[in-house]
Amino acid sequence: MSVSVQIPYALRSECGGKSEVEVSAGSVRQALTALKDEQPKLYRNVCDETGAVRKHINLFVNESLIHRNDGLETKLGPGDLLFIMTAVSGG
Amino acid sequence: MADRVVLCIGTKKGLFVAEASKSRGRFSLRGPFGSGVAVYSALIDTRKSPRIYASSCNAWFGMKVLTSTDLGKKFKETKSAPTFPEGDGRALANIWSLEPGSDSKDLWAGVEPASLFRSEDGGNSWEMVAGISNHKHSKDWHPGAGGLCLHTIVRDGDRIHLGISTGGHYLSEDGGQTFNAANNGVGAGFDPNPYPEFGQCVHKIARHPDAPGRLYMQNHGGWPERPGIGVLRSDDYGHTWQSIADGLPSDFGFPIVVHPHDPDTIYVVPLEPMTRTCPEGKPAVWRSTTGGKKWKKLSKGLPKHGGYFTVLRDAMTTDTLTSPAIYFGTTTGQLWMGHDGGEEWSCLFDSLPPINCVKAAVV
Repeated sequence: MSVSVQIPYALRSECGGKSEVEVSAGSVRQALTALKDEQPKLYRNVCDETGAVRKHINLFVNESLIHRNDGLETKLGPGDLLFIMTAVSGG
Repeated sequence: MADRVVLCIGTKKGLFVAEASKSRGRFSLRGPFGSGVAVYSALIDTRKSPRIYASSCNAWFGMKVLTSTDLGKKFKETKSAPTFPEGDGRALANIWSLEPGSDSKDLWAGVEPASLFRSEDGGNSWEMVAGISNHKHSKDWHPGAGGLCLHTIVRDGDRIHLGISTGGHYLSEDGGQTFNAANNGVGAGFDPNPYPEFGQCVHKIARHPDAPGRLYMQNHGGWPERPGIGVLRSDDYGHTWQSIADGLPSDFGFPIVVHPHDPDTIYVVPLEPMTRTCPEGKPAVWRSTTGGKKWKKLSKGLPKHGGYFTVLRDAMTTDTLTSPAIYFGTTTGQLWMGHDGGEEWSCLFDSLPPINCVKAAVV
């Protein structure tokens, strides 16, 4: 099914300025795999070369952090939004 | 005609570029470039039209390589940063060194976790150099406080010297196909074996092109029970090393720099080993004009007290004018310039972010 991935402002230049992209996926992991194929520049800013989500990136499905659910195996259903968010960090 | 001095200053909050005429009377400053994230390495590449490269360590989105063709008025990202091959299992954590290769687009990058990458297209694509990155010793290397980093690349034709913290000095004599640990005489204060085959915490290696075979090393010294392992010299291409620390207040420090026109003249910044700051808060650069046999303290113009900063491994350099200036940046954000071989110092900028690296070129 098609789900919407919401792109933070800081990463929109990595996907042609879009604020959201559509991917076909039934889970967060599948959505990232789709991004790897369809938006490789965006993907490399979200995941490192081992496929791990970068330390200071948070993924939410709707309003829920995926780590509070099933992590990358969190299911995506019709109308769900996958948010890519930058974590509060730095100094 | 080369008539300007350009400095690249990598800081915790991005890259700054300073520029002055050859008189070095007043430096202008531009930046920060690179999204305000840490820059650990920079290169002013003068092999053709001057081009600047810099690493940009973005904690959120990963590593980038920045490049500028207008001496740092604007930067763009190269098409790719070094990337470990699929299935390798390692992920790029930082880029500690950017060095020119043999032809005009050949670049080398030393990275964390300790590995070497090479680009043949000006940094747009990179290939891992397996001879060191997959070396049989690599599983036994371990990170120092700054991470497991390959920070020094010194090239001399087919001879390539690498400094790894904490891995030691590795030498290739076949253009980077194979590497061997070359640490005879390089000590380790933190290892049960005071002189292990590898695993030393090398801080920096330097050489002068007019003195083939001679190398200088700032190693992790400062061990009361194992003195004289921190500042070293080799006269046989790094196969054996001897201490040249006699006369220094401490053999702990990070950078070691060779005078651009005299292979016998070197500079170090001794630090108090426990705090890694200037001894007694009195900063000084120490110079030897005898290849390390004797040392002289250079502190005129530097703070007389309260100077408790650190000068990191890539934060000291020289320009290449006839009477070169020496530059160092501090973890407290000052950029100092030493005139007349370091006899007198002046502060060019006093409120930058903490400085990781300083590079200079005359263009």
